[in-house]
Amino acid sequence: MNSSTVEKIIKEIEQFKPTHESAHVGRVVQVGDGVVAIDGLTSVVMSEVLIFEETKSKKLAEAMEAQTELYGLVLNLEEDGVRASILGDTARVSEGMTVKSTGHVLSVPAGEELLGRVVNALGEPQDAKGPFKNMTMVPVERQAAGVIDRKSVTVPLATGITAIDAMIPIGRGQRELIIGDRATGKTTIAIDTIINQLNEPEDKRPICIYVAIGQKESKTARIAQQLREAGAMEYTIIVDAPASAPAALQYLAPFAGVAMGEYFMDKGKDVLIIYDDLSKQAVAYRELSLLLRRPPGREAYPGDIFYLHSRLLERACRMSEEKGGGSITALPIIETQEGDVSAYIPTNVISITDGQIFLVTDLFNKGVRPAIDVGISVSRVGSSAQTKAVKAVAGGLKLELAQFRDLEAFTQFAQDLDKTTADQLASGQRMIELLKQRNGAPIPMERQVAMLYAASLRIFNDTPVARVREAATLFVEYVDAQHKNVFAEIKKSGQLSDDSKKEIAKATEEFRLAHPELFATK
Amino acid sequence: MEKEYAQALWQSVERGMEPHKAVQSLHESLKAHGRELLMPRIASAFGRLAQREHRNNMITLTIASEKDSHGAKRDIEPLLKELGAEAKDVETRVDPELIGGWRFEGKGKLVDASYKQALLDMYNRAVR
Repeated sequence: MNSSTVEKIIKEIEQFKPTHESAHVGRVVQVGDGVVAIDGLTSVVMSEVLIFEETKSKKLAEAMEAQTELYGLVLNLEEDGVRASILGDTARVSEGMTVKSTGHVLSVPAGEELLGRVVNALGEPQDAKGPFKNMTMVPVERQAAGVIDRKSVTVPLATGITAIDAMIPIGRGQRELIIGDRATGKTTIAIDTIINQLNEPEDKRPICIYVAIGQKESKTARIAQQLREAGAMEYTIIVDAPASAPAALQYLAPFAGVAMGEYFMDKGKDVLIIYDDLSKQAVAYRELSLLLRRPPGREAYPGDIFYLHSRLLERACRMSEEKGGGSITALPIIETQEGDVSAYIPTNVISITDGQIFLVTDLFNKGVRPAIDVGISVSRVGSSAQTKAVKAVAGGLKLELAQFRDLEAFTQFAQDLDKTTADQLASGQRMIELLKQRNGAPIPMERQVAMLYAASLRIFNDTPVARVREAATLFVEYVDAQHKNVFAEIKKSGQLSDDSKKEIAKATEEFRLAHPELFATK
Repeated sequence: MEKEYAQALWQSVERGMEPHKAVQSLHESLKAHGRELLMPRIASAFGRLAQREHRNNMITLTIASEKDSHGAKRDIEPLLKELGAEAKDVETRVDPELIGGWRFEGKGKLVDASYKQALLDMYNRAVR
């Protein structure tokens, strides 16, 4: 024990006043698989936190050395007792143990100190950086903002992924689902979006919250490392409920994350929250519900599985100016099996969100990354939030690509193609190449605009398909070196002025002369 | 199902029915429905119910040593009044681990006025 602790204890002894606080208690009658049946506790309310009294049978010295308190969460109120989930190690609970009610519904700490930290679903630090000092406790469950308190989505949230920002734009306060099979790049899109916020000015940069549900600890550690290396951890919070955590914590993690986000939103800040992924949360909730003996429904999920996701995602919104003007943008992730988007959970979340980004295994395996299926991906509210400059260059892009995909399938077995069709196919192939992007390398908006505008001028039509990406990268670098003011102007105004258009057109001619090798053959 | 029958039996006795008569009525009813074989299981369920009721109504006062008994009993008088119980309902236990003071538990209420708890709270406030 160090000297400061001894001093604190001496102070405590000096200020000691005996108190006899009474608590409502019950007794554990059954324990198993993270769920306990408790006799008594007639006055508790739903979602109330309980404390398992482990110290009763221990000596003082043992009790002092014990780990932190073990909590439970009331999930079922029954005729002669309650059922609760254990928010920790089930092995610490034994039959006959006394359980105290706290009178508080589950809350998590929130505050600026959370930034750059990794916490669990209860808000407890998991990164060995020490405890929090000045935090506000916020309830995990909160009613979503009402209609009057909301404002429509008008401010863009740039992901730095050209294909998304151009064709499926996301606005601040929107809920955009990222859906696809395993290993199709869902998490990559989410992480790139967090990293891209570095390109935003500090006062407009959203606070990012990454909620890892049922993920491998190694994956979360790798993500934390990637964000740290990119300098994105400074404005990011990671809420980690790994696969090894009890089902209750996996079910609670998204709610804990959004509660932390609401703290910042209430202060007028923008928040980006990623739920990776809600399929695993649904599975955890199913496990919990079955253990709580709630009646199973379709695919054995409980009847309120839709409400679980809708009440979570409804908390993402943009608040009116009177309410501070903050926002929460949610990017939930859903993992499909064999591309089946008509399964129960995917259809539920598709219907709740304001659009979806579909990632397809075939495209991923063909090397199209991000592997977005443009035809079925949509953003229902994002277009009104799209930056004017991006809108100006990306107007017909989605249609062109969708037509290309149709044409490509149709002409797969064709021998002779007329010139118009061949040109359309060539143009589509080049556009696909142009939209390919390396992971961890988001592109700022002004660069996306320059690249897409150059493409609309057909500059890459003479470039071999395999070299389009290289040409586009070199072109953007060329503009950055020789016409820097264009980027500055687009970034500042958010528009593509006639002068900027002329300057980019001029740059394309210069670039063509500077790099003839990129335009040598068709 | 045996739990429901046991509960019905318990309630009948609680409402003033003679225990012997209540069991006989239950037996007749089961026989009429061809469920006589449930009787032993109902008896077990009734036993568990009785145990639970006893546990819920039990009031325990734990003290560190016999010499604390008088003071503790005086301290818990208002609590007993609040719970509608009497001093004779209280079972007193001695647990030297409490160091001093007392711990009252019963009828869904817990008051821990032991020195052990006070020291533990003090330690937790200083350390955590």
